[in-house]
Amino acid sequence: MSSRPAPQIGFSFEYLMWIFTRISGLVMYLLAFVGLVMAFWMGAHQQVDIGALARWTFFPNPNHVTNTNIPDVTLGWSNAWWQVMEMLIFLFAVTHGMNGVRVIYEDYIGNTWGRALGRGIIFLLWIFLLIVGIYVILAS
Amino acid sequence: MEVTLKIFRYNPESGKKPHYEKYTVEAEPTDRVLDLLEYIKGNFDGTLSFRRSCAHGICGSDAMRINGQNRLACKLLVKDLHGAQITVEPILGLRVIKDLIVDMEPFFENYRSVLPYLINDEPAPKKERLQSPEERERFDDTTKCILCACCTTSCPSFWVNEKYVGPAAIVTAHRFIFDSRDRGAAERLKILSGQFGVYRCHTIFNCTTACPREIEVTQAIGEVKKAIGTGSLE
Repeated sequence: MSSRPAPQIGFSFEYLMWIFTRISGLVMYLLAFVGLVMAFWMGAHQQVDIGALARWTFFPNPNHVTNTNIPDVTLGWSNAWWQVMEMLIFLFAVTHGMNGVRVIYEDYIGNTWGRALGRGIIFLLWIFLLIVGIYVILAS
Repeated sequence: MEVTLKIFRYNPESGKKPHYEKYTVEAEPTDRVLDLLEYIKGNFDGTLSFRRSCAHGICGSDAMRINGQNRLACKLLVKDLHGAQITVEPILGLRVIKDLIVDMEPFFENYRSVLPYLINDEPAPKKERLQSPEERERFDDTTKCILCACCTTSCPSFWVNEKYVGPAAIVTAHRFIFDSRDRGAAERLKILSGQFGVYRCHTIFNCTTACPREIEVTQAIGEVKKAIGTGSLE
């Protein structure tokens, strides 16, 4: 019988993004759950229709509930807490999604040059979406 | 019973485009698809080309797509296909050389890339490197692979890019990574954590469905992913 040492594993980019995909998926469910529970706690069951509630759950922006029966969205529905929640769910969603695009792209592209080009374009697109999203969150 | 075989035909020397030809034969329900192919080759068209060797599900030569699923022609009975027409095509993702014969070189290149042999530079004991039944059991499932390529050629990630090592190579790597006598796990895990390693697997389970040896291929890939993440070979 023999015992062997566990191999020393260096974390590769592919491994880290694989882990991130799983963790970010779970975090997005958690953030959506918090948004949903707090919406009900603030009276959503009487004041918000199901469509607006779904939009709010996955992106808790006050613009999603301004046309509902909530008398004043500045009371609870629009504050710094929800801006942080929006930023978190947006950051995880965009990064999770753009990494998915990268994974699919790299399924097809075999050469180093093509991979670097694709990663560069996807990185720039990711930055662009982050800037637009953060602007929308801060401006609303 | 009367069965019609619709067979993919391609001969690059004839100048004809790839096409299908139909052959109607008398068959017993317990005949294997390989028996029908042999019958057609012997009685209708001697130019029909396919690989076969042991004809008993061990050598892995006669993997082909039968009614849309990767199967060994020598293991599949006519009665299990539940129909009077059987479509036989070459496995996907590899270049067709002639009829049902594909170029297996990209498959074996990937196989060789994961170091498919025991690595142990420690001095050999007098008799043999011993292993407990439990240690042997750890990788028993993946020892059953016969390199037929049914799994790899059912994998969409391999269809789009043959640089992906593919399920069969990962199964072989698993067989050695979890072998207590082997010392090459770190090297193999490094290879499999690269761009064309285990992370091209999107766990769609085609490989597990296709395997004629009933190896839990996707589970083996998952165990390799876990070993990469944790460094544990338990």
